[in-house]
Amino acid sequence: MVDRQRARGCLLGLAAGDALGRPAENLAPEEIAGRWGRLTELARGPDGMAVGTDDTEYALFTAFLLETYGSALSSGDVAREWRRNIIAPLDERPGPMRGAGFSELGTVQALRRGLEPPLSGRWQQHGWSDGLAMRAAPYGVFAAGEPAEAARLAGVDGAVSHGGEGVHGGRAVAAAVALAMTGAPPAQVIDAALAVIPADSWTGRTVRASVRIAGARRSAIPVIADERHTADLHEAVVVRHCPWADLAPEAVALAFAAYLLGAGEVEVSVTNAVNLGRDADTTAAIAGALAGAGQGEDGVPERWSARIGPARGTCLRAVAGRDVRDAADALAAAARREHTGPGRAPGARREQPRDQGGWRACRRGI
Amino acid sequence: MGLAIGDAAGWPAARHRSGLLAPWTRRLARELDEFAEEHRLTTLPVPFTLNQPVTALQVGPSDDAEWLAWTARGLRTDRRAAFQALAGAPGLRVRMSVRAALDNLRRGIGPPASGHDNPHFFDDAAAVRAVAFGAAHPGDPARAARAGRADAEITNAEDGVHGAAAMAAAVSVAVVGEPVATVVTAALAELPEHTAIRCAAGAALTAAELAGDAFAAVPLLDAAVQDHVYSYGVAAAQTIPVALALTRASGGALMSAVPAAACLPSLADSAPALTGALTGALTGYAALPGGWRRSARVLPGCCLPCLAGADLAQIADHVAAGRTDRATPPHSDARRMTGHV
Repeated sequence: MVDRQRARGCLLGLAAGDALGRPAENLAPEEIAGRWGRLTELARGPDGMAVGTDDTEYALFTAFLLETYGSALSSGDVAREWRRNIIAPLDERPGPMRGAGFSELGTVQALRRGLEPPLSGRWQQHGWSDGLAMRAAPYGVFAAGEPAEAARLAGVDGAVSHGGEGVHGGRAVAAAVALAMTGAPPAQVIDAALAVIPADSWTGRTVRASVRIAGARRSAIPVIADERHTADLHEAVVVRHCPWADLAPEAVALAFAAYLLGAGEVEVSVTNAVNLGRDADTTAAIAGALAGAGQGEDGVPERWSARIGPARGTCLRAVAGRDVRDAADALAAAARREHTGPGRAPGARREQPRDQGGWRACRRGI
Repeated sequence: MGLAIGDAAGWPAARHRSGLLAPWTRRLARELDEFAEEHRLTTLPVPFTLNQPVTALQVGPSDDAEWLAWTARGLRTDRRAAFQALAGAPGLRVRMSVRAALDNLRRGIGPPASGHDNPHFFDDAAAVRAVAFGAAHPGDPARAARAGRADAEITNAEDGVHGAAAMAAAVSVAVVGEPVATVVTAALAELPEHTAIRCAAGAALTAAELAGDAFAAVPLLDAAVQDHVYSYGVAAAQTIPVALALTRASGGALMSAVPAAACLPSLADSAPALTGALTGALTGYAALPGGWRRSARVLPGCCLPCLAGADLAQIADHVAAGRTDRATPPHSDARRMTGHV
């Protein structure tokens, strides 16, 4: 059974982390410290509300996929919904895919070529991007308490846009959120993530390094990441000579370390992630999703959640107007429907996936 | 020499070679680029020497030829040890895959993880090096591919390693005078189904077949392998398919294949070099234009300073001598060898 409080906490934590990290994206920890001291307050847009990025909007898209297809979701379904909801609006009204990462842009081109998953995810070179990890949390909400099932669903989605390490990163986040949704302690949550990715993988190595450095496996006291933690984490998991910071093995490891150090407390976990720098909006969104799932809606600082409003649809027009709270409630309801429905087994395909009529429904409904 | 000629023919060679000049010349070029942007000028600042020696910017080989020469010289050195010895060398300029691999080796992460835990695992740095393994194992594509893969795993993974194996295998059959079709087949045998590089190779070969000529194939190849989302220029899944396609479309003639490869601006760093390696071997040293042979022969040391002034033809002869040692006699083979390295 999906706890609505935790579902909301997860998506609010994700949205808050995303918004807090936005101005710090791609900055080094020293630059963040120079500019803000410690960045803890959400920047406001012209309407007084926080401004989210692709992390929140693509997570809302994941929620839409689960609402529509449930656990019967296939990679073909995901590819079809990308074509309907992401590519078709671009073709109707050509313009930039604002805020989209290389993996999303590359996937759009691969799908336009007519490639299908898993080749669509391998065609572009950014298979390692954290684009799946950033949108994977809803799989953990939907499959709360079932890390393996959450990871399976994230892998089904990831086959469209990612390959190798990017898929591992998404599976790790989905599994971690699934266990965090039960209120399990952070150390167990990260173990659940490690259990769904190969030990001999880049992500496996960076996450284990994070666990070693964060060293908070048995501590329930939140720790603010200090210079030592920051330097050690950067040395162990950051790829120094790459101009891009959106590498899943790196981002997921930084997010997990921030969450472990924060002992699962929302504010400390999220601010830890942001202040570690690199792909700060995504790392903080992941840390926020984990901590929010564990602590529930009440665990997200009120001053943050009060500024989280409906998505603007800047990156994905299809999700404009959708509020993360409503998406969380809908995810919980979708999970409930499956659990109470006839003859449901994990991963079993439903007879008829609910087809809501493509992108217009997505725009309206979700 | 074919690889070096292709390397020299692509516009990025001048960029690489400008690394030999004082840093302020490159800073000035960046500032002029900014100025041109600001004033909406179409005049592109290209590398210049100003009051520096001008030889560096004459047409000549650059990064790819140097990495091939470095590999050819160290065929008997343990590959991991060879890379570790490079770390910290002054003036070293490397691909991102190699830089990340050197960092991994420093942290105690060896192959294959050093090539796998790597943001540019997909690039063709190892494919360029693999030409040396193809030359060192003439007529034995399987062995050439094995050696190419072992070296490639230090800096690359997946398509980056498959691409290296494909180049090693293709060169290995090209240097013994097999026909173009056999060369292409040897490469394809190293590209597993359901990989991006295999898919792109299929698309590129089809495009070349439709065009019927190397230069005519240029726009079709651009459409077949490039999405232009981000110009890496050096993704193995793009450059090797182009090299194979142009080799086939030109019937193995370097003089028509390399200029066509150089016409794909985003791939012009290494696609002409890889194309040159394959077609140089098929064309043979004697048939290569004398001006290009002379210009491409001496390495500048722009990426590997230890190779400044090294004579590529001599290095190729040494590789050929290695073959002679293993009782593969003929003089004509030695000429072919020089023809491609």
